[in-house]
Amino acid sequence: MAEEIHERKMTLLNRYGMHVRPAGLFAKIASRHDAAITVEKDGNSVSGKSIMALLTLEAVCGSVITVRAEGPDGEEALDDLEALVSRKFDLPDEQ
Amino acid sequence: MPDDAKTAAAPTTVKKFLEAGKKRLSLSLVAGESGLDRQIREPAINRPGLALAGFYKFFPVKRIQVVGHAEFSYYMSLPEDLRRERMERLFATRVPCIVYSRRRKPDDAACALANKYSVPLLRTQMITGPFANAATIIMEELTAPRARIHATMMEVAGMGILIEGPPGIGKSETALGLIKHGYALVADDCTEVRRNGDGSLVGSAVPLTRFYMEMRGLGIIHVPSIFGAASVRGEKKVDLVVTLKRQSECGDEIDRTGENVLYRTFLGVDVPQVVVPVAPGRDLVNFVETVAQEFSLRLSGQIAHIDLDERIKRRNVQLAQ
Repeated sequence: MAEEIHERKMTLLNRYGMHVRPAGLFAKIASRHDAAITVEKDGNSVSGKSIMALLTLEAVCGSVITVRAEGPDGEEALDDLEALVSRKFDLPDEQ
Repeated sequence: MPDDAKTAAAPTTVKKFLEAGKKRLSLSLVAGESGLDRQIREPAINRPGLALAGFYKFFPVKRIQVVGHAEFSYYMSLPEDLRRERMERLFATRVPCIVYSRRRKPDDAACALANKYSVPLLRTQMITGPFANAATIIMEELTAPRARIHATMMEVAGMGILIEGPPGIGKSETALGLIKHGYALVADDCTEVRRNGDGSLVGSAVPLTRFYMEMRGLGIIHVPSIFGAASVRGEKKVDLVVTLKRQSECGDEIDRTGENVLYRTFLGVDVPQVVVPVAPGRDLVNFVETVAQEFSLRLSGQIAHIDLDERIKRRNVQLAQ
């Protein structure tokens, strides 16, 4: 049975974009969900549960990333990730 | 078979060619900077001798033009007004860029034309022949189809091995164990693959995060700082894919004899695949090392299950007589 793929575009708003801290938080939240999560930018699609993979996207402040989640809790995963991204990863220096 | 990584070959720009060739081709920019974003639509080199003589039929306008010793000598032998006219015509065709080899210095007229037509004018220390060969290789690298795949890559026993599997199954830990066994890391968790002109698949790390690795529970480490320069490798041909799969998801599809080799397709290249059921406590490091050695043997023509089969069949025939 093919799972439905949920998709959402998110804009990075924190000052330094996708660096180690945000990538770590993103991967951590993504890993809490069973859904397979990928993140795409500029045609490169990588695992949303891997810090190193997220860093290779070279996403900066203002970059739009496309997050896809495949699995029963996909929609929920996207909600959590979107909230994290829009809160600028709760990074005090980057608000 | 589904292709797991597809990307069309993208035309490259003069800027990228210049960057890639700065060291390897001793290239430098002389004039025509405004044209650096010009596309090189054919990854090849042309020597524009006939064009400088005024013959433009079948002129390969999409290629990099190299003015070598012969072209330069011919050009200098022309009367000055004709020289300017011929050079202007070459620039006016809007070739991607023009390279003077053998340290030849473009004259002011050529520089002015480069700026006028926004055609970058480059210079190299190299002799034309070797330059053309090396530049062709660089152009092939730049225009090769490439894709990023979710896998860790190692060089084990001379074999380039992609290790893939779901997050948290132990790709990085396996890689770490292999590094401790003296093998080299190519890329952790995200491997860039490209298909070369000869049909081979080559894997490397994404430059920004090259040789950094995430160890769950510890965080990020820099592999060569801990394990030394021999623990990493820039790029390697992909010989094999090892797919780690949770045992609970494997069912009975696992090959028990080695006869049914599976393949994974990346960028149109078929790569032999070994699916490994992962159970708690399984020693993946020794397993992957053995997989590498076994496939290395198979590549040299020695295939264990065939040899054993032959041996048993011969014996059985003898005994049945």
